[in-house]
Amino acid sequence: MSPEPAAATAPVRPPRKPTPPRKPWPLQLKLGLAITGSILLLGLLAPWIAPHPWDTISMRTRFLAPNATYWFGTDEYGRDVLSRLLMGARLSIGMGVAATLVSLAIGVPMGLAAGYFRGWIDEALMRLADVLMAIPPIMLGLLVLAVTPPALWKTAMAVGFVYIPPIARLARSVTLTLANEEFIQAAKARAESTSYILFREILPNAWPPLIVEASLRVTYAILLGSALSFLGLGAQPPSSDWGLMISEARSFLDRAPWIALAPGLAMCLLVVGINLLGDGARERLDPRLKARLGKA
Amino acid sequence: MLEIDDLTVRYRTAGGEIEALSSVTLEARKGSTLALVGESGSGKSTIALAAMGLLPAEATVPLGRILFDGADILTMDAEARRQLRGSRIGLVFQDPFSVLNPSLRIGDQVGEGLVHHRGFTAERAFARAIELLDEVGIVKPEAVAKAYPHELSGGMRQRALIAGALASEPELLILDEPTTALDVTIEAQILDLLEDLRVRRGLTMVFISHNLGVVRRIADEVAVLYGGQIVEQGATEDVLQRPVHPYTKGLLAAIPRIGRRMARLAAIPGRLPDLRNPPAGCRFAPRCPFATDDSDKPQRLLPVGERMVRCSSAEALRETPWPVQQETVSAATGAAPTGSGPVVEVENLTKSFVLSRGALRWERWRPVRDTLSIKPVDDISLTIAPGEVVGLVGESGSGKTTLGRTILRLIEADSGLIRIAGETVSDKPQSALEAMRRAAQIVFQNPDSSLNPRKTIRELLGRPIARFGLAPKSEIPKRVDELLDLIRLPAHYADRYAHQMSGGEKQRVGIARALATQPKFIVCDEPVSALDVSVQAAIVNLLADLRDRLGVAYLFISHDISVVAHLADRVAVMHHGKMVEIGPAEQIMQAPTHPYTIKLLSAVPRVDGPPLARGETVAVDALA
Amino acid sequence: MAAYITRRLAFVVLVLVAVSMLVFGVTTLLPANVAYLILGSFATPEQVHALELKLGLTDPVWQQYLRWAGGFLTGNLGESTLMNRPVGPMLLEAIQRSLMLTGVSFVLIAIIGVGLGIAAALRHGRALDHGVSVATYLGIAVPEFFWAIVVIIVFASWLGWLPASGYEPISAGVWEWAKHLIAPTLTLVFGHLAHVSRLTRSSMIEVMQSPYITAARAKGLPERVIVLHHALRNALLPTITVLALDFGRLMGGIVVIETVFAYPGLGRLVVFSIQNRDLPTLQAAILVVAAIYALANLLADLLYARFNPKIRFGRNVA
Repeated sequence: MSPEPAAATAPVRPPRKPTPPRKPWPLQLKLGLAITGSILLLGLLAPWIAPHPWDTISMRTRFLAPNATYWFGTDEYGRDVLSRLLMGARLSIGMGVAATLVSLAIGVPMGLAAGYFRGWIDEALMRLADVLMAIPPIMLGLLVLAVTPPALWKTAMAVGFVYIPPIARLARSVTLTLANEEFIQAAKARAESTSYILFREILPNAWPPLIVEASLRVTYAILLGSALSFLGLGAQPPSSDWGLMISEARSFLDRAPWIALAPGLAMCLLVVGINLLGDGARERLDPRLKARLGKA
Repeated sequence: MLEIDDLTVRYRTAGGEIEALSSVTLEARKGSTLALVGESGSGKSTIALAAMGLLPAEATVPLGRILFDGADILTMDAEARRQLRGSRIGLVFQDPFSVLNPSLRIGDQVGEGLVHHRGFTAERAFARAIELLDEVGIVKPEAVAKAYPHELSGGMRQRALIAGALASEPELLILDEPTTALDVTIEAQILDLLEDLRVRRGLTMVFISHNLGVVRRIADEVAVLYGGQIVEQGATEDVLQRPVHPYTKGLLAAIPRIGRRMARLAAIPGRLPDLRNPPAGCRFAPRCPFATDDSDKPQRLLPVGERMVRCSSAEALRETPWPVQQETVSAATGAAPTGSGPVVEVENLTKSFVLSRGALRWERWRPVRDTLSIKPVDDISLTIAPGEVVGLVGESGSGKTTLGRTILRLIEADSGLIRIAGETVSDKPQSALEAMRRAAQIVFQNPDSSLNPRKTIRELLGRPIARFGLAPKSEIPKRVDELLDLIRLPAHYADRYAHQMSGGEKQRVGIARALATQPKFIVCDEPVSALDVSVQAAIVNLLADLRDRLGVAYLFISHDISVVAHLADRVAVMHHGKMVEIGPAEQIMQAPTHPYTIKLLSAVPRVDGPPLARGETVAVDALA
Repeated sequence: MAAYITRRLAFVVLVLVAVSMLVFGVTTLLPANVAYLILGSFATPEQVHALELKLGLTDPVWQQYLRWAGGFLTGNLGESTLMNRPVGPMLLEAIQRSLMLTGVSFVLIAIIGVGLGIAAALRHGRALDHGVSVATYLGIAVPEFFWAIVVIIVFASWLGWLPASGYEPISAGVWEWAKHLIAPTLTLVFGHLAHVSRLTRSSMIEVMQSPYITAARAKGLPERVIVLHHALRNALLPTITVLALDFGRLMGGIVVIETVFAYPGLGRLVVFSIQNRDLPTLQAAILVVAAIYALANLLADLLYARFNPKIRFGRNVA
C-alpha cells in the first residue's frame, strides 16, 4: 500500500499523470500478431492473390514437385497446392473462430449463472458439463457429426458444442471469485438488479481471462475440426480444408510428400501464432486480475 | 551478534531499479531485542531476508556488510550460509498460513532442521519436535506433531513455526511481523512466549513490526525506518515517549490512544518518496511540517543525546510536538441529527451457518444428519440514534462482520426484527427494500476489492445517484464533483480507475460511494484495517468530519479497539456471536465489566500508559 | 476416506448412466434404417416392417433404451449389423490392442513429460527451460494426424525401418509385433508430451516460489531436500489430475492414430462403425471409452486424495 496523500486539510498535490507508463508489448504478443495476422490476411485475400485456380483439375500437371511455377507443387488432380493452401486458410480460421464463438455464446452464460446463483443451478449445469466431458472430445464430435451428412459448418458447430464445458467451467470459476468481491456487495447494497450485477459488474471483469482462454481455444478448435475433416466428417471434396488435404494426400506420401507437408506445416504455423497471441495477451493481462484468478 | 554495516539493497523491477535500503547500519547486541519499525515500503522486511542470505534473484547488494559473529554473510559461500541458516540463525515469518508445507506433518517440519544440521535420525528429531512444541506452550504436543497444518488454528501454527525456528538452538532469532495475522489476545500470548524464551535461552532477537505498541512490549531498542533509511534509533521507551525525528513524531501522533480522546488524530500528509530515484536530501522533507532549507541537503544519522537521528534540525526539534491540526468543524450543512427516534433498531437478531454436514445415519426408521453449525449472530439487540457512532469490536470469528451485513440484509437473518429509519425491513422481500437501500449504506475493508476495477471514479460515484434518481442526468457530474470535494479528493480524480490510486484514496472513494445516496446510516466494516497508521488517521478523521457535517450514523466495525475508542460514542463488544457488553465508549474503556472485555482491553498493545513489565500479561489461557 | 470413495464411485456410475443415455439418444437419431441395412436395399416394405417388429424398433425409445442398457449389464452388447457377429468379443479384442498402445504411450508420457517439466522448472529461465518451452510450444501446435504422417514419411518412406501401417499379433513374432507398435506409440507420445510437461513445469515453478519453500530455505535445508521432500509432493498433486485428463485425450487420440496406421483397435472401430452406420458397435464402443476414461479419472481422484492431507483427513483436530 502506498501512503496516504491527503491530510485532513485541503490537499495541495501536484497533478499526476492519469495513467502509469505503458508496459511494452511482450515479444510473444508481437510475434503472435505478426504470424496470425499475415495468415489471416493471406487467407482473406486468397481469391485475388492465389497464383492459380484452386479447384481446376488438370491431368497434365499431376504430382509436380515444388518448382518456380508451382511453389508448393501440385496434387493428384494437378491442382496448385499453394493456391489450395491459401483458400484453406480462411476455412481453418473461420472454422476455429466460429466454433469458439459457439462455445462462448453458450458456455459463458452457463458459467455466469452457475457461479453467481450457486445452489441447484450450479449443481445441474456442472454435472451436465461433467457428462459431456466424460467422452473424449473427438469421440463426442464424431458422435454428434454421425447424425447428419458431413459439412464444414456442422463440424464447426459440433466442435463448438464439444468445447462448451471447459469455457463454462472457466466462466464459473471467474464468476465465483468475482462474486465474492466487495464491489458486488456494494452493488447489492444499492439494490441493483441481478442482470445489472451479472452483465455490468461481473462480466466486464470476467472478459480478460475469458478472451485469453478463447484465443487458445481457437487453436484447440482448429486442431479438432481438422482432425474431424481428416476422418471424413468435416469438409468434403473438393474443398481445400487443410485437414481434408492431408487426408487426401495420405495415399501419395511416397510419391509426393509435399501435398501433405504443406498444409500440415501451415497448420502448425497458424496454431503456434495463435498460441503466442494468447500467451502474450495473458502476460499483458491486468496483473491484479491475474494474481486473483491464479491459474484459472 | 548481528552487525549490519552500511547496507544498500536494490531491486530490479519492470519500472526501473528501486533502492529498497540505503546505507543501513544496525547492531543487535547479544541477549537483547532490537525492533525494526516502519510502514509498508520502509524496507524492514528486506533487512530480514538480507540477514538470512535469502534475497530474491532480482536483488543486488552494491554496498555493505552483514556480520554474524564476525563473518560476513554476504560474501561467504552458499554452503556456509546454508549451514548458518536454521542452525545459528532462525527466522519466523509473518503469515503462519502459507509458510508451513501443507503436505508434511507439523512434527516433521519442526524437527527437520535437526536432521540436517545436527545429524539426528528422523525419529529422534520427531521426538525432539514434540518437546519443542511443548516448550512453546502447545497443550497436546503429540497430537499436534502428527497433525497437518490445515488442522491447526493460526495461533498454533505460529507457535509451531517458532518451535521450528528454535529447534537447532539458534543464537539469533529474526521475526518478521510474527503476530500481525493474529488476534490481539493470541498476539499477547505469543509476545509473552517470545520474551520468556529470550530470557530462558539467552536469545538475541530482531523483531520486525509496523505496530509500535507491540514493539514497546518486546524490544530493548528500536530503529525506525522510512523510505529505506533509518531515521531514528534508540532505547524503546525513550524513542516512543520522546520522539525526536519528525517522522517518528508524526507516526506516534497518528496512533489513537485508549483513554485519551481527541477531537481529531494527527495525520501525515503526502506520500512515500519514489525509491527509483530517491531524493538526495531528507526523504521525509516533502511531508514534514518542520522542513527547512537544510532539508534538501543529504542528512546523516547523528547522535542526539543517547540516540541516533537522521535530521539536521534534530537538536532544535527535541521538544517540539507534531502539530495538531485544529479541525474547524464546518457548520452542519446536512440535516442535523433530529430527535426523531433511532435510525437503526435491531431486536433478537439471529443468524446461523451450517459449517459441515455430517454423514447420514439412521435413527429408528428415518435418516438423520448431525450438522455442525455456528451462530455468528446470536440474539442481538441494538439501537443506533441519528448521528451516533456505535463501535463494534471483537476478534476474528466473533460475528461482527456478519452482524453488519445482516442488518443491511446482505445476509438474510434466521429470525429477529430490523427497523431502519422507522421502516421495518426484516419482513420484506429484497425487491421492496428500495427506501432502506437508500437510507443505509456500507463501506468495506479492502480498498482493492471494493471498487470495480473496470469503472472510472465518475462511473462508480454516479451510479448510485442515477440508480435512485437522486438527480437529473445532466446534474450527475456536478454531484460527483461535490462528493469528491466532500472526501477531499481533487476533481480530476473522477477520470481515474481504482488501480491509479493509493489505498487511502481508494478508501475515500469507497466512502463517497456510500455517501452518494445521502444515507442516514452507514455500516463501516473494518474501513481502516488494511491501511498504514498514518493513512488510517486521515480516514478516521474524515469519517469523524462527515459525521459532524452530515449527521450520518455509523456502525463502526473494527478489531482495533484503539480506533473504535477514538471514534465511537458507544462501544459494543462481540464474542462468539453474542454481544457481551455495550455502553458509552468512556465507560467501556475505563471500567469494563465483562471478563472478555477486560481481557481484550488488557491484551491491546499500547504506546502510552505505564509500561507493562515485559512478559506480564493478562491471564493467559494457555490455548484455544 | 471410505465415504469419499463411495461418493466418487456413485458419481462415476451416475455419469456413465447419463453418458449411456446420451449415446443411445444420439444414435437413435441417426438417419439409418437398421432393418434396411440388414436386409439390403432390395427388401420389400413388408419384410422391413416384420424385421423392425422383431428387433423391437417400433417400441417407444425408452423401452429400447432399457432393453439395450439391460443387455449391456448382462454382457450382451448386441450384434454388429455390419459384421453379423456379436459386438462383445469384437470389442474386447479391439480394447486389448488399444490399451496396449495407450498404456505404453501413457507410461512414456508420464515419465518423460513429468521429468522434462521438473527439469525445466528447476532451471527456470535458463537454456534447458527455454529449450523445453519451445519444444512444447511446437508439440502443442502440431495436429496428431500430421505427426503421424511425418513419422510415416521419415521412418517408413525414407528410412524404411518401420512398416507404414498395420498390426501383427504377438504370435507372429515379438519383433514383428513391436515394429507395428513403435510408429503409433511414437506419434502418441510426441503429441501428448507437451501438455504434461508444460503443466508440470508451471506447477513446479509455482511451488518453488511459495512461502513455505522460502521458509524451508530459511531453515538451511540442502537444496536436494527442499526439492525432493518439500516441493515435489506438492507440485505433483495437480499433475495427477492432468495425467488423468491426458489419459482421456489419449483415448481420443487413438481415433486418429489408429485410422492413419490402420491399427485395428477401438478408435478405428468407432470410425468404422460410424462410416457404416453400425449402431450397436458404435454405442458399445463409445460407452466403453467413456467407462475407461471415467475409471482413469476416479483413480486420479483417489490418488490425489491419498497424497493430499486436506482430503485424507477431515478438518481441525485442535
